[in-house]
Amino acid sequence: MLLEQFINGMTLGSIYAIVALGFTLVFGVLGIINMAHGEIFMVGAFVGVMTTGVLGWPLWLAFVASIVVTSILGYLLETFTLRPLRGKRGVSHLAPLISTIGVSILLENLSHHLFGAGNKPFRTEFAEMSIEIGSLTIYIVQIVIFVISIILMIGLSIWLSKTKAGKALRATAENLETASILGVDTKKIITLTVIIASAMGGIAGILVGMAFNSVSPQMGLAIGLKGLAIIILGGMGNVKGAMVGGLILGLSETFLVAYGDSGYRDAIAFIMIIVILLLRPQGIFGSKIAEGR
Amino acid sequence: MLADFINPYHLQIASFILINILLAISVYVPLSSGQLSLGSAGFMGVGAYTSALLTIHFDLPIFVGVLVGAAVAGCLGIIIGIPSLRLSGVYLAIATLGLGEVIRVIFVNWESLTKGSIGLTGIPQMGRELLKLARNVGIEPAMFGLRNNQFVYLMVFVILLILVIGTIWFVFRQQNSRIGRSFSSIQMDEKAAESMGINITYFKVLSFSQGAFLAGLAGALFAHVMGYISPSDFSYHRAVEILIFTVFGGSEVIIGSIFGAIFLTLIPEVLRFVSEYRYIIYGIMLVILMAVRPQGILDIHLLSKFKRLKRSKGGVR
Repeated sequence: MLLEQFINGMTLGSIYAIVALGFTLVFGVLGIINMAHGEIFMVGAFVGVMTTGVLGWPLWLAFVASIVVTSILGYLLETFTLRPLRGKRGVSHLAPLISTIGVSILLENLSHHLFGAGNKPFRTEFAEMSIEIGSLTIYIVQIVIFVISIILMIGLSIWLSKTKAGKALRATAENLETASILGVDTKKIITLTVIIASAMGGIAGILVGMAFNSVSPQMGLAIGLKGLAIIILGGMGNVKGAMVGGLILGLSETFLVAYGDSGYRDAIAFIMIIVILLLRPQGIFGSKIAEGR
Repeated sequence: MLADFINPYHLQIASFILINILLAISVYVPLSSGQLSLGSAGFMGVGAYTSALLTIHFDLPIFVGVLVGAAVAGCLGIIIGIPSLRLSGVYLAIATLGLGEVIRVIFVNWESLTKGSIGLTGIPQMGRELLKLARNVGIEPAMFGLRNNQFVYLMVFVILLILVIGTIWFVFRQQNSRIGRSFSSIQMDEKAAESMGINITYFKVLSFSQGAFLAGLAGALFAHVMGYISPSDFSYHRAVEILIFTVFGGSEVIIGSIFGAIFLTLIPEVLRFVSEYRYIIYGIMLVILMAVRPQGILDIHLLSKFKRLKRSKGGVR
């Protein structure tokens, strides 16, 4: 029972971690919170539902479609909402926050109109399959989700630390002007960051669809807010923090549902951020709080 | 004669506009000291539930319930405001957003008290109580040639109007006082304000809890105008809607909040076919607004231009 809950928690937590990575990448490079990330993620989930359910595509093709669609959304987000605000005089630091809230409202209500308000089931061919080890039941879906998340996290870490583009991204995150003086095409890196973050949101969307077997226009908000809570928990812009924070939230939610009051499940994330902001505002892994943000 | 002009439907929309003005001001006041609060829907909910529960279970008069509701929200604002001082900008926005969600989840789950997601019904309605009161002192709606429901809506509107004008007057006076100037200096540059000897802690908590108080007041009034509340009335969407009133109208001047609340409440009523797409339009509007005019429609320059225009016209005459 305990081990089973632990596995459930890890599965949920690894999805949360992927969502949070999207937030943390954008925050690390641009210093803004992308409130539309949750809705991009939701669109990714709907692309998954439509391609596998309506068109009957295999799962891997659904992943590709979702990544393509969310990448385009990320590109549009950068071009039309983030870039016009950058480097403009007299724009307060709250402007990108409000602007991305605008995008999130737009996307949520657009999908409300397109797909309807209700939950859509997400069918996978191996939804009911499970392995039994002794008294332990593990669903194949859980393994798939967990493996994909781990691959994604390791891949991102290697990409960030080893490749040239990843190093350029970290340099830009460190200091935009210096990076640009040293010959990094910061404009390209920023666009790339937003696209990668959005694509990760798209993947996370399909993973959540698989895990909960349902997709709705409101899920972007619910999961997006949790992602936000995680990056505060782990430290803003910190990649390791987002992963650990995601796992912590996933585990604590699962154990609360199993042994406590399931009604307060959605409140944990926020109680956690309020507590962490008061005790250690820079987050678990954060080094110092950035000035003026 | 008077009866021909009074349309209960129009009066009800006017009442909602007045409540929305209060809400917009509740975002404007903390923002005038540089604090973006996304918790106004939560504070509104606290005010509404407090007042509703007090009047339902203890038979308190409505005005006592409203006052207590607003005061409880204001106290919660102080309790949250003090630790939140360590947070600024985006962090404060997320913490208050989190607070609002926690409050909503508590409303949904504390079923023995709040009836969960079904919500509270049978909240004493302000209009009916006022009618009863008027009858007790011997005033009948018919004396003014009004039907009962016209009288009820008119009274609600008048009460709300008095409250809103009082609030605007208070905020306006405060702005031109030492307190208001301290707020704006904190907004401009916190460190500079501190070195000038301004007690930042005090003024930030003051503006934050004033915002919470106003949101609580608006929530309590909302409960007694509607007669029915549920947790979904105080969700994240409400918080964003309130924020849009202020940001759209102009977050630098109080007139901006008032204009935003009036305009954005009227538009979906006037353009019926738009109301279905209201949120889509809101979304696009926010994006365009931030790119083109991040300070909102009305700002100080525009207002002074209007003033000059008026003065020059007067001169010609």
